[in-house]
Amino acid sequence: MSETIAFELNGQPVRVAAEPGQRLLDLLRGPLRLTGTKEGCAEGECGACTVMVDDRPINSCLFPALEVDGREVVTIEGLRGPDNRLSAAQQAFADAAGTQCGFCSPGMVLTATALLNENTDPSDEQIRDALVGNLCRCTGYVQIVDSVRIAAEHLRGES
Amino acid sequence: MKTRAYHRPRTLDEAFALKREAGPDARFIAGGTDLMVGQQQPATLISLRSITDLAGIDVGAPTKIGALTPLADLLANKEIAALYPAVTQACHTFASMQIRNAATVGGNLCNASPAADLAPPFLVHGARVGILGPDGAREIALEEFFLGPGRTALADDEILTHVLLDKPAPETRAVFSRKTRVRMDIALASVAVLLELGDRVCRKARVAAGAVAPTPLRLTAVEQLLEGKRITPKLMADAAELAKTCIAPVDDIRTSADYRRRIIGVYIRRALEELCA
Repeated sequence: MSETIAFELNGQPVRVAAEPGQRLLDLLRGPLRLTGTKEGCAEGECGACTVMVDDRPINSCLFPALEVDGREVVTIEGLRGPDNRLSAAQQAFADAAGTQCGFCSPGMVLTATALLNENTDPSDEQIRDALVGNLCRCTGYVQIVDSVRIAAEHLRGES
Repeated sequence: MKTRAYHRPRTLDEAFALKREAGPDARFIAGGTDLMVGQQQPATLISLRSITDLAGIDVGAPTKIGALTPLADLLANKEIAALYPAVTQACHTFASMQIRNAATVGGNLCNASPAADLAPPFLVHGARVGILGPDGAREIALEEFFLGPGRTALADDEILTHVLLDKPAPETRAVFSRKTRVRMDIALASVAVLLELGDRVCRKARVAAGAVAPTPLRLTAVEQLLEGKRITPKLMADAAELAKTCIAPVDDIRTSADYRRRIIGVYIRRALEELCA
């Protein structure tokens, strides 16, 4: 039996029906038509489905949709920087070729954003550590780490 | 099976009432990072996530960690890092940031994986677990909580509410390490060692291992070997050898029993070297 839940999605209030046992991933990609969130492994290994719930990145493939009732959800579609431009992480991934096929990029960018919210001067080791739950099957990890480092420099006002 | 009902009680009383009504087909769910994997979902899920009393960390004597505390909160707690560094090490290597934000301390224990990362550090810190059921509360040692892979001492209608850790005496040092092929792997073997040293003599030793028996376990024979002695390289080697005889590892898809036995010896020796350096 479905239940109506209310939450904040990318800054806007939404009311939507969710099913028991439904994954947040399916609620976002289905009724809410936000297909930037990707399904990769469906078991919490690959991070392609990463979204923010109350400012924390989670795997939406393992998160019951009903649990976002009353919370704030941000997907890649809702991520933006000041003046409505791309965020530092989004811009750096574009500039430094952190994106190849693009499938892992929404999750990568959101996880990187969570790291940068806590630490604007991460070492390469800290960047790789933060991204252990995000797999890139193009294996473009060098450019991805570069992108996060560049985004951090930008946030520190160094570029 | 498909989940037909998903309840979000706000109190424990409400959770027990829902469980009584739904019967054995209902399961309690915490962070969901184990239960939401795969298609075999229970018909009824009773989520504990909205019961705010079950989350939180209170460092003291003893330290109390609520069962619904996310791994991320345990990792970020500075008092835990100062008093229980082995616990923080286990949190640091625990899956990914995304999993740590959802997965809970209680869920890691209730899932009862022999490889549960929190089990070895909790065991060396004398963990006891608080259990609440419709008929009342009880407290048992963590060793008695694990009965086998996926099996715990919880009755069908009981909830794990919290974990209690001893306050470590001064001069206590502890370390956790785990063997994996890549970071996101489930541990092939894991070890936690706690030593209380005075004048280079070991006053107290606690040694625990994961993924090398049907449950995470304490290696009490190794503890007895170490206690009351000066920790020399020879004693470290003897402890490593003895540890191999205290475990019951299996061959599985991740590695062999033989490798697990060898790695436990190596990791115990390295842990002792690190703690005595």
